[in-house]
Amino acid sequence: MKRRGWVQRQGWVGYAFVLPNMLGILIFLILPALFSFGLMFTDYQFSNPRWSFTGLDNLRRLFGDDNFYDSLKHTGIFLLSVPAALVLAFLVALVLNRSVYLKGLLRGMFFLPYISSGVAVAFVWMLLFQPSHGPINEALRWLGVVSPPGWFADSGSAMYAIDVVQVWFMLGYNMIIYLAALQEVSAEQLEAARIDGASTRTITWRILWPLVSPTTFLLLITGLIMTMKSFALIQAITQGGPSGSTTILSLFVYKTAFSYYEMGYASTISWFLFACIFAITLIQWIGQKRWVHY
Amino acid sequence: MNEGTMKSKLPITVVMLVAGAFMIVPFLWMISTSLQTPAEVFKQWLPSKLDWSSHRRIWTGNYNFLPYYLNSLKIAVIGTAGALFLSALAAYGFARTEFKGRNAMFLVYLSMMMIPPQVIFVPKFILFNWLHIYNTHWALILPAMFSIFGVFMLRQFFMGIPREITESAFLDGAGHFTIFFRLVLPLAKPALATFAIIDFSWQWNDYENALVFLQSPKLYTIPLGLQNFILENNVDYNGMMAASSAAIIPMIVIFLLGQKYIIQGISSSAVKG
Repeated sequence: MKRRGWVQRQGWVGYAFVLPNMLGILIFLILPALFSFGLMFTDYQFSNPRWSFTGLDNLRRLFGDDNFYDSLKHTGIFLLSVPAALVLAFLVALVLNRSVYLKGLLRGMFFLPYISSGVAVAFVWMLLFQPSHGPINEALRWLGVVSPPGWFADSGSAMYAIDVVQVWFMLGYNMIIYLAALQEVSAEQLEAARIDGASTRTITWRILWPLVSPTTFLLLITGLIMTMKSFALIQAITQGGPSGSTTILSLFVYKTAFSYYEMGYASTISWFLFACIFAITLIQWIGQKRWVHY
Repeated sequence: MNEGTMKSKLPITVVMLVAGAFMIVPFLWMISTSLQTPAEVFKQWLPSKLDWSSHRRIWTGNYNFLPYYLNSLKIAVIGTAGALFLSALAAYGFARTEFKGRNAMFLVYLSMMMIPPQVIFVPKFILFNWLHIYNTHWALILPAMFSIFGVFMLRQFFMGIPREITESAFLDGAGHFTIFFRLVLPLAKPALATFAIIDFSWQWNDYENALVFLQSPKLYTIPLGLQNFILENNVDYNGMMAASSAAIIPMIVIFLLGQKYIIQGISSSAVKG
């Protein structure tokens, strides 16, 4: 009773703790977001001081823009990397969680790409995938592939090559979280299944996979959102090319704003990107209860 | 552990080592290539004899990476220090004090995590021009100091500190600020270290913001310096790999030193800002 009264009298203290951070978030995040929402209804261009309200023109333009539909398709291919990295990470975590020697070393080897992310790694992959002399195509030729793909140099394969790099990068992160989830699974439960004669495959896909489904769901959602937002890897390797074949939605926003300086239109595209992320988040809220086995 | 599992342990380890080797081959190839001569690139896996000239080339002469390094270091250190302090303050406010509108404010914080950076690039570009900090390091440092992820993660940790500890300090007459600085911060050292490492690595690797908000080459951070080098020397493969090594190796060292904290932090909060 006494403490409660003290806390109430000290009610302003809470603001003192939160305010410094809050001010920055307001200036650098909330107000810009509101401003960007307003820009959506204008034809604002940075180089041109004259602008006017154009209502829903930007939205109409968006839904008639072939580049927009292309970028959606490329984003779709980019997002394939998310489930691919998940399944691989689950399998790696499963093996590392069981009996292997050198567990710490192995965990470090799989996790290293995640921490060393960035442009530097992008350039290493650019050389590894180099079509005529790069080690990946040399290896494919050695294996008997007569005309290996052009990878980043070819518009048909560039997006898939990006997926390979993205899976390589995300695998370790997912693995760490799966390892934590697998440690929660009780040993008795698995032993009981084994005594009942269940095969390793049955145990893996009928028992462990459903048991870690909350983790899978969380990783899928956060992975989709993170992947939709990112464009550094692609900008560094292909700048969206060749012939626009790797321009995903987030890169499309960047190009529209800072290569063509069409700020109003760029804001419109960026809010479409937000709508996608919002929809995925909604699915998370609803889906967590319905599809996940606890 | 029975005989059977002991027998299967060795082959499984070998298989996983091979798979793990594939994961780190890009790094090994990078270092190996950086030590080769131009004639050896793509021809052989290992250098015939260690050739350090590519490394010397990127640290002296036209493409001196030292300024890029210092720029990146300055931005990441000040940005992380600011984010660490301001996030810890706000996290304590949300976790351990009561005030009107607290929960509503926290909800606003959470919902802002959904805003993709692309949405605010343009307004920030206009704002920074207006504040005259476009094309200065402040355009990267200031926003980095206000981290929603930091507030979220540290709040989680502070809520886990037993109430009895802070309660008895209250009864002794200590105020919230004394408790925060003398009691909670020392207890939270592992969580603070985890956040500091993760935040530092994000800022060290940040390419997108630098791309939008920096223009003068003398202000470039490592990612931009690297990109610039490659645009102008796109056949100097040895130089490219020496420069990439210089950018990646500090992160590998930080990872090896802070591995425990990084893995703990990622396992406990699978949320990224």
